[in-house]
Amino acid sequence: MGGSPVWDGTLSLDGFNASAAALVKRWKEIEVDDSLPDWTWKPCSKTGAPSEEEGYLALEGVCRSCGGSQIEEMENLDVAETVGDDAWVESSSGNVHVYDYHVVYSFSYKVPMLYFRGYYTSGQLLTLDEVKEGLPSDSLKVLTESKWTFITQEEHPHLSKPWFTLHPCATSDWMKLLLEEIKAADKEQSLQYLPAWLSVVGQAVGLKIPLGLHCNS
Amino acid sequence: MAAEAGEQKVVVHVRSTGDAPILKQSKFKISGRDKFLKVIEFLRRQLHQDTLFVYINSAFSPNPDELVIDLFNNFGIDGKLVVNYALSAAWG
Repeated sequence: MGGSPVWDGTLSLDGFNASAAALVKRWKEIEVDDSLPDWTWKPCSKTGAPSEEEGYLALEGVCRSCGGSQIEEMENLDVAETVGDDAWVESSSGNVHVYDYHVVYSFSYKVPMLYFRGYYTSGQLLTLDEVKEGLPSDSLKVLTESKWTFITQEEHPHLSKPWFTLHPCATSDWMKLLLEEIKAADKEQSLQYLPAWLSVVGQAVGLKIPLGLHCNS
Repeated sequence: MAAEAGEQKVVVHVRSTGDAPILKQSKFKISGRDKFLKVIEFLRRQLHQDTLFVYINSAFSPNPDELVIDLFNNFGIDGKLVVNYALSAAWG
């Protein structure tokens, strides 16, 4: 009574939207590896009535070699400045996997959820076995030990197609650990939510989040 | 420039959170050139735990590939890099 209740590690829809907007802006300000595109906000209207409030975050077209790591440098540097993203995707077809990542607010768990899919440059979608090839070794271990509480395939809530997703049941627990010591106002905490969350889910799926995202500007 | 800075030793201060056991020695030195993975593996060995949740400054969980010196330069406080650890795993 009177004191603020213990924070449970969840995020409100307003908090999600505010944090998403902050992330899109911040990502543009920091130095991001060339293989990483920008995050974009995709508005959508699930309930019929279009609303500015409804939408999800998307990071699309992340290229990774089959070995698992993101492609870091182009081999012939002299043309690097003039070639666009699409040009070098074509040039290295075959053993390149392209990934799309979507961050969608889960009303059931009150946390963000990561949806992702991978495909060949030809457009053919990757199966779970092929996605596994690109996962960090720690994640592969978790996947073998707890098959149904880690990566599963589910219907994308806005696209109605099967996407891979990371199970959100423990998200609020570890988010609580990550952010509970921040004594700032609630608003500040929700703005830091997505960068903190991404640092963990990124590791799970092998998406390297630039350190600059966590630095104070 | 980066190579020279990498020679630097970094003091890492490990702090248990939740019900994780406290280590007898909570501060140790590590080469700035080492990856953060070395800190994670050290904690795993000391605590005999395969799954640990390791994070910094109550803000994020660093990628194991990050260099300790980069983390220290950006998030070091009072000459130390404070690393929190909890027993819970993120998944499973």
